[in-house]
Amino acid sequence: MPKLTVNGKEVEVPAGTNLIEAARSAGVEVPHYCYHPGLSIAGQCRLCMVDIEKTPRPTIACNTVAADGMVVLTETDRVRETRKSIMEFHLINHPLDCPVCDQAGECWLQIYYMKYGLYDPRMTDEKVHKPKAVPLGPHVILDAERCILCSRCVRFCDEITGTGELGIFERGDHSEIGLFPGAELDNKYSGNVVDICPVGALTDRDFRFQVRVWYLETAKSVCPGCARGCNIEVHVNRRRPHHAEGRRVARLKPRFNADVNQWWICDAGRYGFGSVDAKDRLLVPTRRDGETTSDATWDEAIAAVAAAVRRFPPDEVGVIASPRMSNEDLVALRRLLDICTIQRVAFGVPPRVPGDEDDILIRADKSPNAQGAELMGLAGDARAILGAACGRRLKCLWIFGHDLLASAWPEAEVREALDGAEMVIFTGTNSNPTSERAHWVLPAAAWVERDGTYTNFEGRVQRFRQAVEPLGQALAEWEMLGRVLAALGEAPSATRAEHWFRRLATAGPSFAGLSYQALGDTGRLVAGSVAARAPR
Amino acid sequence: MSETDGAPSTSNRTPAAHAGLSDPATTVFSAAQLTEVRRLQSLYPDPRGALLPVLYMAQETFGWISLEVEEYVAGLFSLSPAHVHEVVTFYTLYFRERPGRHVVSVCHNLSCHLAGAPGIIAHLKRRLGVDPGETTEDGRVTLLSVECLCACEAAPMMQVDDRYELNLTPTTVDRILEGLA
Repeated sequence: MPKLTVNGKEVEVPAGTNLIEAARSAGVEVPHYCYHPGLSIAGQCRLCMVDIEKTPRPTIACNTVAADGMVVLTETDRVRETRKSIMEFHLINHPLDCPVCDQAGECWLQIYYMKYGLYDPRMTDEKVHKPKAVPLGPHVILDAERCILCSRCVRFCDEITGTGELGIFERGDHSEIGLFPGAELDNKYSGNVVDICPVGALTDRDFRFQVRVWYLETAKSVCPGCARGCNIEVHVNRRRPHHAEGRRVARLKPRFNADVNQWWICDAGRYGFGSVDAKDRLLVPTRRDGETTSDATWDEAIAAVAAAVRRFPPDEVGVIASPRMSNEDLVALRRLLDICTIQRVAFGVPPRVPGDEDDILIRADKSPNAQGAELMGLAGDARAILGAACGRRLKCLWIFGHDLLASAWPEAEVREALDGAEMVIFTGTNSNPTSERAHWVLPAAAWVERDGTYTNFEGRVQRFRQAVEPLGQALAEWEMLGRVLAALGEAPSATRAEHWFRRLATAGPSFAGLSYQALGDTGRLVAGSVAARAPR
Repeated sequence: MSETDGAPSTSNRTPAAHAGLSDPATTVFSAAQLTEVRRLQSLYPDPRGALLPVLYMAQETFGWISLEVEEYVAGLFSLSPAHVHEVVTFYTLYFRERPGRHVVSVCHNLSCHLAGAPGIIAHLKRRLGVDPGETTEDGRVTLLSVECLCACEAAPMMQVDDRYELNLTPTTVDRILEGLA
């Protein structure tokens, strides 16, 4: 492995490492626009110039492979001067519209100008004008004047999605990013071009003008949109609640995880957080008696649920858990089922439309934790539970999250089952036709409103963290299940999600040895699982 | 670049402004041409290298490079049409609109300029009734104003189709125009 020095610090890097990454490993940042570790090298922006001892002029770091004995200097006068000139070139036709640009605050032109530019502009001529606010597709909008032609978005569509929608058309100072006339940027990963755009040329139609980025707070999380469990950051707006019509979750951004999603997430996951701040959120426990529905307190709701599981014989109780519940929720549920000796449990409800899948990130299973539910022994025949309810052999049916009336099962059969059970309990975040037929509805906190872990399809356990407070009186499922357990006489022990995870780690071999600390930011595999091929 | 110079490829920056569309049904090479495409592609380490000559072939065959032609050529190279569009819009010698039966390219570069090109261009504009980058209504002549064509010794000059016309004066220009059917 080549050993080189960067600004006097010696580092050893794997063969083939370029100088940007080699410098990074020495703790040195080399500014750049077009280079992206997930894409091919373009060498287009020229900003990553560094001095290499015994070379006559500065060299681009992105396309120079580290060699043994190389002496790299990133802060010589010559490099600083070069950077400053290149910044001046990049900004020569760039509009000075930061006050109305959505990228402001996370714009690499702003950041690098303040760090490496700080020159007095000499451009006195009229700037070249190009198309502005051009929608490229359902999610992305282009301002061609702000573009610095780094070609990251073009390479993304060529190399990651293989769809090739984007190109750089015309030439010289008339060059601009665009689509083949009549085409749309409508692939399943289009939102990523906004992330990798270093400037305000590509912005998110969904997020644009909703809130300034410096008002956002972030929490590390995991996408609940499918079994991949892409690592994400949840960006929430708590400081300007009057912006964005009160929606707290502003956007989701991918978070790098080499083993799961690398730098990317799909559009379905990225834009799939609408339910969190939706009007149909369940806010308080409710009881339905015939046609009348009334609010209840949590104490009343917990007492009613505890009474039901105590009153009915275990074989007359059926539980349809959800693969969208966290491991902590599921282990709490497992505990409840065990002490009540309830056998009829399942979690898999077939969707009406089978999920789409590809060989990049998207998995057909649209739930984040089917693997966790499986490992906790909750797999069962959900259809049989439904059948038992239809045949009146089942008196109490507890449904977590699912809208059974939107499943692949015949609606008439679901209706019969829901009508057949004496006591239907629904736990979930949002109301749906199934929850409307329940006798008790227990509002659950959404995944961004609580801590927890999911186990992805390959057995990787990953943490997601609370970003906002639960809406209304919603509670995490583990918490309401803990209260039911307490009502049944079990000594309360868990006041945090982590407490349930500790119980899980000592309960069986799969999660043995895992802890929140051990999971860290990127997760760990459960015992016995083999990591699947890394996504490309 | 001023507004008045202009090969057709730069006169309309929005590709949607294509003058018309060629018939997709006829946008297809003959078997012999396809053999030539394969031969050209085999000359380069990356077949994509043959894009320029194949686009010239297409221009000769179909008269100009329409969006349909770009898509057809993209198919021959297994490229996304956007990448063929990149190449076509980069170069000025691909016609992105249907040109007239004759193409008149007047040099506006330094030597010709000093020798009176502005007067020649003004005269052509008046006689043809079009600006550089435009085609006469009857489809007879496309007028272009171009960079140096390497005949400074005979400035001012212009290229008419494949022929150089040297040491121009308004009178010789008139005679040349009369000869264009």
